[in-house]
Amino acid sequence: MAISTTELKSAIIASLNLQDITPDKIDDDAPLFGAGLGLDSIDALELVVMLEKNYRIVIKDIEEGRPAFQSVRTLAAFIEAKQAT
Amino acid sequence: MGIVAAPGRNVTEVWQAVAHGTCGLKPLTLFPSPRYGQIPVGEIKQDLIELGAPLRSSRSDKLAWLAARDALRDAKLNPAENADRTGILLGCSVGGSFDSERFLINLMKRGIMRPRPTRFHECASAVDLIADYFGLFGPGLAVATACSSGALAIAAAAELIQTGEADVMLAGGTDSLSRTTWSGFHSLLLVDAAGCRPFDVARSGMSFGEGAAVLVLESEGNAVKRGATIIARLSGWGASCDAHHATQPHPEGAGALAAMQSALRRANLPAAAIDYVNAHGTGTRDNDLAEAKALKQLFGDRVPPFSSTKRIFGHALAASGALEAVVCIEALRRGQLPPNPGFREMDPAIGLAPVTALRAAALTHVMSNSFGFGGNNAALIFSQPDTTPQTRSLRPISVSVIGIGMTGPGKVMRRAIEPPMPPAELPVHACGSLDTSSLTPNQRRRLSRFIQMALLAARRCPSPAANDRVAVALGTGFGAIEEGSILLENWIAKDEREPMPARFPGSVHNAPAAQVAIELGAHQLNSAPTAGEISFEGALWQGWCQLAGDEADCALVGAVDELNKYPLGIGKRWGFWTEKTRPGEGAVVAQIVADRSRRGNGAESQPTTEDPPPHVGGYLARVTSLRLGRYRRPFDTTREVEWITAAVDLTNVAAIFSGAKGWPVLDEYFESIVSALSARAGRTLAHLTYKQDCGEFGAASAFGFAAAVEWVRQNQHSALLYTLSPRGGKAICLLEP
Repeated sequence: MAISTTELKSAIIASLNLQDITPDKIDDDAPLFGAGLGLDSIDALELVVMLEKNYRIVIKDIEEGRPAFQSVRTLAAFIEAKQAT
Repeated sequence: MGIVAAPGRNVTEVWQAVAHGTCGLKPLTLFPSPRYGQIPVGEIKQDLIELGAPLRSSRSDKLAWLAARDALRDAKLNPAENADRTGILLGCSVGGSFDSERFLINLMKRGIMRPRPTRFHECASAVDLIADYFGLFGPGLAVATACSSGALAIAAAAELIQTGEADVMLAGGTDSLSRTTWSGFHSLLLVDAAGCRPFDVARSGMSFGEGAAVLVLESEGNAVKRGATIIARLSGWGASCDAHHATQPHPEGAGALAAMQSALRRANLPAAAIDYVNAHGTGTRDNDLAEAKALKQLFGDRVPPFSSTKRIFGHALAASGALEAVVCIEALRRGQLPPNPGFREMDPAIGLAPVTALRAAALTHVMSNSFGFGGNNAALIFSQPDTTPQTRSLRPISVSVIGIGMTGPGKVMRRAIEPPMPPAELPVHACGSLDTSSLTPNQRRRLSRFIQMALLAARRCPSPAANDRVAVALGTGFGAIEEGSILLENWIAKDEREPMPARFPGSVHNAPAAQVAIELGAHQLNSAPTAGEISFEGALWQGWCQLAGDEADCALVGAVDELNKYPLGIGKRWGFWTEKTRPGEGAVVAQIVADRSRRGNGAESQPTTEDPPPHVGGYLARVTSLRLGRYRRPFDTTREVEWITAAVDLTNVAAIFSGAKGWPVLDEYFESIVSALSARAGRTLAHLTYKQDCGEFGAASAFGFAAAVEWVRQNQHSALLYTLSPRGGKAICLLEP
């Protein structure tokens, strides 16, 4: 099942309490951490919670999520891969 | 020494477990945890009441009481013989949370309102319990700096003895398991499901624990005088702050290194003199790597034998520094190096292997490390009793107040108390919604209101000079109660699912001090002292000690507290809050420096809630005397006047700023003291109050301090700030022009 990136962006904005940011302001390929949205390691943990709540994907080790948290596109691909298994 | 923890109820039992490297971790039974209940934890399985602990207290209080009782027995100390100069200083970060959680579960799940356990919620509750029970009338204080609290408490207690405030201090730490910290650390993915494996290549997190340990610290003169057996010397201590991140350690271990170096400086010892290090070694990937880097930087290629005993105890948070102090002292006494259970294979990134089996060694000086959230670091050095102490003493100084910034005092408004508390309305002094426009977007979205209040107050205070070594101590009565209750409500409502990892770091009581340090790059001591109404004075005292010890050029001292529906609703039910006694909130941060006889009229830097004033190089007032203690009940005016006049020359004092117009029970004490001091001075001293303007709350005396400083600046007469806590604490602070 293809993941709606707009929906995913909305979920990210809600879970991270990002102010003054709308889904259309987030580029699918922009880095989420560091330079891009300026997120940090604690935001990554909030994304872990969001993935479980919205997509029923459980991550027990943050290293497992690291490659997926590069950008919205990699995260969507990660969710699709997890849901396919 | 007294100790109670998962591996044992006393020093002998604990050492047996330490020596054999016995893992003390077992599945959790204290409270149900459907998600994580099988993960091993260092839980104390014995009934604490059966061990003798008092019934009316929190679990943390009971643990501390048991350790204190045993420490007094072990030291053969009868506190009554020198009660006014015997005090207590404990590290505590969870406080009565475990018991408060039961209150909220009953309320949310069953609609039953049983608030009694919340009486012991504050971190200083154990201090009050033990001081009252054993009759300690010297200084009583707790420090709530997360996982470094226990070590920092021992260090601060030593400073109280060094400055002559006390002859004997009970010092240590206590923390019980709690649902809030349990789910919080799990939400940070910091818990190793296999039990912690410090320094091992496969380590993947910490393990939880609980417990308490208390040392009897005593000046050498006092110990010799009463014929006590000295079992070890505390020859050095050091504190530092990473000023880097709320939860992650500095990747190169810079703060850990600075704390160890500071302890060596204080002890006048070279690094090569250290024979063993009890590492913080939590078992998380980041902590152990950063700590190992710090060890290598300090000791070069001669890192002494080291081990982490966390798999034996679990990480008992604020207690761990005290538990490990006991381990260090026993290692010294027995000449044995404790092993590091959980370690199998060296991590190439660390390149160091800890002690793997108990072995004999001649030990003279040993070091204990403790690091906590907020990048808060402490190191202690214990030495054989026959070593010649070379501990650096503190300089006698007075301090100048350079500037003050405030959030508040809050305006009087009516506030509704939200569910799940029964609906009610109260008059309060509230700061309302904060003007956060000066904060960065990340500070706005991430930091709690509690932290923002402190950060905004610090910004309204003149900035420290560039290159100043800056210490930060922000006292608090209740601590981060709003974040704590949001986390717990969420835990109860969602049955442990959907945790809130971003909120958890804001629930530690030292989070405001840590954020101020990050903003200012303040790398010296970072502390959150707590003792009810005298929490601010505790912070002022800690800042003073850093200046007196030449560990800082400048200290930001203050206090912060926030309104929250639970203390509001419960206080209303108990009849505490009335139209006259109104709860309040706010933050005050003052910059102090060692008195350099700088003098100016300070006109441009009067206290302000507006923009920061320019630093004019002058000062507002000088703090020339500061004392902490506990008063006897029933209140004995004559004795209290003796205590005040022993420390303060009344000749130039024109006014007393008291904590009256808050708790009604204290008003007559304040009145009687002002009358008696006026009689002693032979003239009428003005009795000025501040709680009518800021409300009643733990941090209120910081507003009293700000008002007194301003009064002294304007009138060019001395004023005395006199504060009492309804739970027994007292403080005086003399301000001179």
